[in-house]
Formats: sequence, C-alpha cells, structure tokens
Amino acid sequence: MDKITALQTHNLTHTVTSKTGNLTILKGIDIEIKEGESVAIVGASGSGKSTLLGLLAGLDRNTAGEITLYNHSLTSLSEEKRALLRGQYVGFIFQSFHLLPSLEAVENVMLPAELKGDKQARQKAEYLLEQVGLSHRLTHYPRQLSGGEQQRVAIARAFASEPKILFADEPTGNLDEENGKTIIQLLFDLNRSQGTTLIMVTHDNTLASMCDRQLIMSAGQLKEGNL
Amino acid sequence: MSFALRFILREIRSSEVITLIIALIISVGTVTSISLFVDRLQLSFEQESANLLAADRVVRSDQPIRESWKSHATEQGLEQAERTSFATMIFANDKLQLSQISAVSASYPLKGQFLVDDALFAQGHPSTIAPASGEIWLSSRLASLLAVKIGQMVEVGDAKLRVSKYLVLDPGSSTSAFAVSPRAVMNVTDLAATHVIIPGSRVRYSLLLAGDRDALQQYETWIEPQLKEGQRWQTPKQKGQSIGQTINKAESFLLLAGTLAVVLSGVAMALASARFVKRHLMQVAVLKTLGATPRILAKLFLLQLFILFVVGALGGLISGWFIQEGISSLLLSLMTTTLPEPSIGKLWLGVATGFISLIAFCLPLMIRLIQISPLSVLQPSARVEKNALVIYVVGFVGLYGLMCLYTQGFMLPSIMTLAIAGVGLVVSILGWGMFKLGRWATSGATSGWQIGLASLYRRLTPNLFQLLVFTLIIMLGLILVGIKTSLVSDWQAQLPEDAPNHYLFNVQADQVAGINDISQRLNLSSSSWFPMVRGRITKVNEDLVETLYPEGTPEPELFEREMNLTWADHVGEGNQVVAGDFHDQGISLEQKTAAEAGIKMGDKLTLSIGGLHYTLPVTSIRTVDWGSMRPNFYVIVPKQTLANYPANFVSSFFIKPDQAQAFYQNMSRYPTVSILNVGDLLKQIQTIIAQLSQAIQLVLLCILAAGALVLIASIGSTLEERREEGALLRVLGAKASLVRQALIVEFGFLGLFSGVIAALGAEASLYGVQTFVFKSAVSWHPLLWVLGPLIGVILITSIGVFASRTVLKVPPMHLLRDF
Ligand SMILES: Nc1ncnc2c1ncn2[C@@H]1O[C@H](COP(=O)(O)OP(=O)(O)OP(=O)(O)O)[C@@H](O)[C@H]1O
Ligand SMILES: [Mg+2]
Repeated sequence: MDKITALQTHNLTHTVTSKTGNLTILKGIDIEIKEGESVAIVGASGSGKSTLLGLLAGLDRNTAGEITLYNHSLTSLSEEKRALLRGQYVGFIFQSFHLLPSLEAVENVMLPAELKGDKQARQKAEYLLEQVGLSHRLTHYPRQLSGGEQQRVAIARAFASEPKILFADEPTGNLDEENGKTIIQLLFDLNRSQGTTLIMVTHDNTLASMCDRQLIMSAGQLKEGNL
Repeated sequence: MSFALRFILREIRSSEVITLIIALIISVGTVTSISLFVDRLQLSFEQESANLLAADRVVRSDQPIRESWKSHATEQGLEQAERTSFATMIFANDKLQLSQISAVSASYPLKGQFLVDDALFAQGHPSTIAPASGEIWLSSRLASLLAVKIGQMVEVGDAKLRVSKYLVLDPGSSTSAFAVSPRAVMNVTDLAATHVIIPGSRVRYSLLLAGDRDALQQYETWIEPQLKEGQRWQTPKQKGQSIGQTINKAESFLLLAGTLAVVLSGVAMALASARFVKRHLMQVAVLKTLGATPRILAKLFLLQLFILFVVGALGGLISGWFIQEGISSLLLSLMTTTLPEPSIGKLWLGVATGFISLIAFCLPLMIRLIQISPLSVLQPSARVEKNALVIYVVGFVGLYGLMCLYTQGFMLPSIMTLAIAGVGLVVSILGWGMFKLGRWATSGATSGWQIGLASLYRRLTPNLFQLLVFTLIIMLGLILVGIKTSLVSDWQAQLPEDAPNHYLFNVQADQVAGINDISQRLNLSSSSWFPMVRGRITKVNEDLVETLYPEGTPEPELFEREMNLTWADHVGEGNQVVAGDFHDQGISLEQKTAAEAGIKMGDKLTLSIGGLHYTLPVTSIRTVDWGSMRPNFYVIVPKQTLANYPANFVSSFFIKPDQAQAFYQNMSRYPTVSILNVGDLLKQIQTIIAQLSQAIQLVLLCILAAGALVLIASIGSTLEERREEGALLRVLGAKASLVRQALIVEFGFLGLFSGVIAALGAEASLYGVQTFVFKSAVSWHPLLWVLGPLIGVILITSIGVFASRTVLKVPPMHLLRDF
C-alpha cells in the first residue's frame, strides 16, 4: 500500500462522432495502477482497448471523466503540454512497430532523447541497441530488418526516454512465436531492471497471465479479471 | 534539432520532394524569365524612344530655361544639353526663306544622333556632334530653296554662318514632322549674335536631361510643381505611345500565359504535398507519441518548407535568368542593338511567386499533417480530415492573388477562374457520363478494353480529377495557340512588312500628279493624299479657350497650338467612328483628344483659319490607330470650310532601302516637299514583335514542362493502387501484355475525353478573351478540334504508360508483402 500511484482514472468516458452518429467507446472506467506494476488489458476486438490505452497515455483528450498521470490531470492539458508529459513519462510499443523508414535503426532510437535535447542521445541509443542484441545493425534502415528485429529496435526506442510507464498495443501481434517470446522476455527484463510500469493490450492469454494484473475490456467497461 | 536536419536531408531524396522542387523551379523560373525579359524590352524601348527625344527627359518652356533648373540638374548629376527652337528668315544669294532653326549646345544630342550628309537629298550618316560655332546645317530642301551649297555662307539675323552639312534628321525634332518650314541646326553660342530673339518672339526653349532613373525621378518630382503654363515635362513614353501599348499588352499576355505554368506547377505541388502528407501522417503521429510537441513539429516542417523554398526559388531564379539570357542572345541576330541588362529589382516577382505558391499549395496540407491526432497510431479512424475545404480555398486565393499581381487587374484572372470552374463542372458531368457509358458497354475482364474502361469507372473520383487536370492542361495549351495566332496576326495587321516608312508633306496641289508619277515609276506603295490646312480652335461653344483653363493648369494639346486640319469624304483606314455620324456638316474629333479637352458630341467649336472664323458642331468622335504609321488627324472638318484655302498635301510611302536613293534623287525636283524617314522607328517596332513572338514560344515550353510534371505527379498518387491491381491480375493469370493493353485503353480514353472537352473549353475561352480583352473579331478555330484530341491521346497515353511502367513489372509476390 506504500507504492506511488502511477495512473488513475475516474469515470473515464470517451465518445467519438463518426458518420453514423455518436459512438461511446468507453463508458465510465475507474482504475488505479501503481508504479512498477505490469497490467494486461484483454478483450474482444473492437471493445475499445486501443482507445483506452491511447487515452491513458495522453494521446488524445477524453470527452468526460478524469485521468491522472503522476499527479498531472491529462484532461485539462493542451496538446503541447501533453506531448511534453509523454516525452517525460511515457514509452510506446506498437503492433506494427512504426519505425521511421527514412532513419537508421540508431537514429530511430535516438529520437526521444533528441526531442528532449539530450546531448548524449547517440551513446544512449547505441547502449540500448546493444541491450536488445542489435549492436551490429546500428546503421541499418528499418526495411533492412526483419519484423522481430524491428520490434527490438522499437523496444530500444521506447526505453530511450527512460519512461516511467510503458504502453504496448499487441507488441507480439505481428510476430511469430519464436520472435514473440524474445520480445516478451526483453520487455519484462527491462520492466524489472528499470522499475517501469507496464500496461499492455494483448490477445495472448499466456502473455496476459505473466502480468501482475489482468483487466478485461468488454463493451466499453473494464473489469478486474483472473485468467 | 540535429534530427530535424537529418530528417529533411533524407526526405529531399523522395520523389514527392523532388516533384515539389521541380514545380517550384518551373513556376519561379517562368515568371522570372518573363519579367526579366519584358523589363529588358521595356528598357530598350525606353532607350530607343529616348533617341527620338534626344534625351531621357526634356523640360520644355516658352520662357528661357531658369538657371536654378540647370544647377539642380547638375546637383543631381544629370547630363544636360539645351536647344532653342524658333522660326526665322534665312538669307542667302538675295533669296530668303522662313525656316525652323534649332540652336543647340555642344553636348546635344544626349541620346540618339543626327543624320547628316555631304550630298543633297541623300540618306545621311550618323553624327553625334552638334554643329561647331560659326557653322550651320541646312536641310536639303532649305539649301535648294536658298540655292546654297556646302561651304557657302548664309545669314541668320545679324550673324553669318557657313553651311557645313546637309541635315537629314535632327533626333529631337523628328516628331514635329508636320512643321511647315524647312529646318536648320546651328550652335547655340552663335545665337546671341543673330539678335533674332526679341521679347515676344515665339521661341521654344528645351532643357535636355539624361542620367540614371532614380536621379531623373527625383528631378521630376522636384520640377513638376514649378511648371507653369507653356512649360512641360516630356518623357520618352509619351513619345512612342503605340509601341508602349504594344509592350504593355504583350507583358500582360505573357504573364497570363506564364500564369498557366504557375497554375500547373501549383497543381503538381499540391499533388506532391498531398502524397507527402499521406506518407508522413503515421510518422508524425509516431513522433507525437515520442513526445514531439506541436511546436517542435511546426518548426520542423516550416524549416523543411523554408529549405524547399530556398532551393526551389534559387533554382528558379537561376534558370529564369539563363532562359531570358538565352532568348535574348537568340535574338541578337535580329537586332541592331543589344538589349540592356535587366534590373535585379525585377527578380522579386519570381520570388513572390515561389513564396505564395508554397504557402497556397503546401502549407495548408502541412498544417493538416501537424494536426494529426497521435491516437491514430493505435486507432486509424482517429485521423483528422476536417479542413479539406480550407485547403482548396487557400490554394484558390493564392492563385487568384498571383494572377492579379501579374496582370495588375481583376479582369483576366476572373475570366480564367470562371473558365476553369466552368470546365470543372462540365468535365465532371461529361466525364461521369462517359465513364459510366464505357463501363456499361463492357462487362467482364477478358480483354484489355474491358479492364481499361472498367477501371476508368471504378476509380471515378481520382479519374475525374485527372480528367479535369488533363483537360485544363490541353485547354490552356490550345488557348495559348489560339491567342498567339490572333495576337501575332493582330500585330502583323497593324504593321505589315510594307508599312509606310516615309512621310511626304508640304506637297502643293499641283505637285501631287508629278510625285504620283515618280511613285508609279519606282513601283512604290503609298497611301492616299490628305489635304492639310493650318488652323486653331479659339472657342468652345461661347467660351474662349484661354478662359477655359485657369492659370497653372496644363492646356489640352488640342488648344495649345496651331494644328493641321483636313477634310475627307469618308472615314479613313484605321479610323473608327465611335459616336455620331461622319458627314460633311460638322467636325469629327479623335476620341482621346476630345476627352482630354472635355469636348462632347454636339459642342460647337470655333476654328480660326487664315484669320477667318468658322463655328461648327462636333458630329462624330473617332478612334484612330496611331500604330498604323499612316497620316492621322485629330480634327477633320467639312470640305467646304477648307475649300478656299491653299492646302498642303501629305501622304505616306513604303520605300525599300535599295529604292531610297533613286527616290530621294527624283524628289530633288521638288525641293519644297519635306520627306520624313521613319524607317528606323518601324524597324524597332518590328524587332519588338519578333522578340515577343519568341518569348511566347518560351512560355509555351514552360507550360508543357509544368503539364508533364502534373501528369506524372497525378499518376504517382494512384500508383500504389495500380500496382496492386496489376499484381492481382497477374496472379489471376493475366499476361503482362493484357495489363499493358488495359493501361493503354485507360489512358487513351482519358486523353481522348480530355482532348475533346479541352477543345470545347478553349473555343469558349478564346471567344471570351478575344471579345473582352483584345477586343478583336471573334473567329472559329478548327485546328483546335484536331489538335486537342490528338495531343490528348498521344501525350497522355505515352506519359501515363511511362509513369505507370512499374505496374507491368510488379511480380505477383507483391500482394503477399505488406507495406
Ligand atoms: N475516431 C473514431 N471514429 C469512429 N470510430 C472509432 C474511432 N475510434 C474508435 N472507433 C471505434 O471504436 C471501437 C473501438 O476501437 P479500438 O481500436 O479501441 O478497439 P480495440 O479493442 O483496440 O480492437 P482491436 O482488438 O481490433 O484492436 C471500434 O469499433 C472502432 O471502430
Ligand atoms: Mg486495438
């Protein structure tokens, strides 16, 4: 009970307008996630997992309710401020990697640190790529790397900003079992060694069960679950 | 932000950025080369006109030139010369003759040159030196009338002067062609000794000035307020109005044509930007998740735009400079003088074009890029696509603004905009119908025809857009061909090869037959003879003209001096009655002169001719084609009014250079007849026309380049999709030749449709342009209906198949790889 609260929501609700009318994707979600915890979010396709993840990370503004990230109320912040917070607290890993194709692997990893004006960006990036076992591929472009290698670069990039919370949206979704395992191993290792909070959306029940907590998303509602 | 620079450098190699840069270079280059070239023409025209004026500027006065005017000119660093013109008797060998004498200072003329000769009635050699003190130059006519030869003495007032040359042309006086008295030029230092100028003499004092434009401009603003009645500031522009108008007309035409290149480049830029934005949306969203703030991203992309601008504008300026240098040197063979260097100041128009183009075509799209929600990394439907309308509005406003900037008005841009909007509407309706028809006529996918036609309908929106773009390009090209033809023929009609290059005036009624004889023997073409009687207007209705203009305001030219009146049975060539009827019961006035003097139809004018007064109503107003080089008159009066006065006759002739000597010699039998050679002036006008035609070719080339760029850019935006389809067809067992056939059918029909609609649109816009802008007769252009579809099919099929050649090469494996 003495752990700090990393992330907390109160009655988080999100409604979008689409061509067919208003659609409420998230319907009053209350969660509290402590620093260092690893949390899996599972649920059917289209249930709103990605939307929740994005809002928790401050990628967009929720339409109602409250999100508090390390005592910052995201709901009231401008995009400019939210971006700064993201740079400071948040790291991301995506299903389809999303590396910048025109930058080399090491340059991709340097990006977060460079955005913060860190002079040591390059050394840090090289160190991180070594950690994920890619020290020999520093100057390769994403298209020259396999899917698993690309995701390892993405992990190195996610940890480059020394984030307090790492968000991952189906990080193994595009990988085969072998590569998926390597990635998961890396994620949990880094999570432990850096004390990072991990929030992960996944369809993979074994992966979900490796996390401290499991949350089940269904029809815009979130329940604490046990797999 | 070292990564920003890296990011940009990497991007510069991408095809969109290259398209953007090329488009910028084309639009900046086109506008730059046009504005520089026209500037050079204008400068050269001003210089040539200055030759007619013998100076860059002249202050003319009926009082001696004030010392302060001269000293101020010295302070401004201007070159100066003086000319004093007056009419007086010259005596020699017991003969006397009224003559028009110019007494000039040693530095006269500042611009242009005298033509003098040692033989009577010869063509003359150039001389930039004024007669020395103690010498006088007599026109051949004057020398014949006085029966003196070179080396003999004549008396002007109390001074005795030696005839040292025969005067053929005094550069500063060539425009007062209709002066009655024969001319002579002497040195101003001898003027005092003559004692002919006494208070009350009718004398015209001129201070001639030359120097750089700024100094002259400053001098003008300084002296204008000091000018009183009888004093004028003369510029070369006023002297050669018809050439000036030709150049102005040509400039707005060239820039209008250039606008087409700018529009096309703009479209290419917009297409490339749209592709750029599409490719980068996800990247920007990712950067945002990594903590890139909107401000950082704005900086990043503004920096990118700025680098683009610098590279494109510099490239455009440099290529524009070389292009106009190129045409100028091509023209060197045609011209007697080299064109003056263009002014660097004219580069701004090209720079402004590049800047406005980028702002109008790239910035809105870039803003859209920056506004993407980072959530779209996780949820693609979270993208913002709201402000599409803003993008079109900004693009349109930018283009319209540019067009107004070029043409200095709203008329042409509005016609063009309406034409484009109309074409857009027509193209959408027709295109939709034709695509649908093509689709209906074929079903299944067994032949290239069916696949090609079906694909036109399937990609309806992008194809309608391409149809519109292609139609516009072909239409603009056709319009240009049409306008060029009508413009050049307009000019040529104005100044045919055999435009009159000599005026004969001071011809007595009984000499007309003899001169006609000479003209027939030498086989010369001539205009008819116009009788001329001197007179002046003394009253408008009941008011004396002196009372109409308060002290200090300039008098209209019509009242200022005696002028030449003529009569005519019918309206002359190049004259057009715009109000009233031309008949022998009243006065016919030239439109501008009438407007300047504030005279309306029905006003009664009192003319003083030979001491008698006649009061007649104004019964018609005419426009006169001053560019025609035929004798023209401000005032035409009824025949019966002039019948009792001895008339001088005037006519114009075309004399080929090799006939000139024979003609002058024959004419020495009529020493009282004045001959004015305007051949040089004509040559100058014809050179300018040649220069302008050349410039139009250049603009056509620029437009073609921009058009090809649009084609390639617009095909590029559908390339991904086409590749996938090509691969799919191949997977399904289609041969590459079938895919190629389908492509040819698709682009061929697109080209055919564009060509037909373009011919329609071009015909309609030419109607508009001919009617409202050039005010020339409307004509039908059958050529366009052949050229349009032909060019459409050939150009679009070849560029289309070329630009999508990779579709044929995609291995079917392509489908399995995910991008
Ligand atoms: N901006 C939007 N406009 C319209 N609909 C949206 C928008 N954002 C999300 N949706 C809809 O909300 C629902 C939830 O989307 P979300 O991506 O969060 O689901 P998900 O649980 O991540 O699904 P998956 O497991 O397939 O990734 C979907 O039906 C989606 O189409
Ligand atoms: Mg999802």
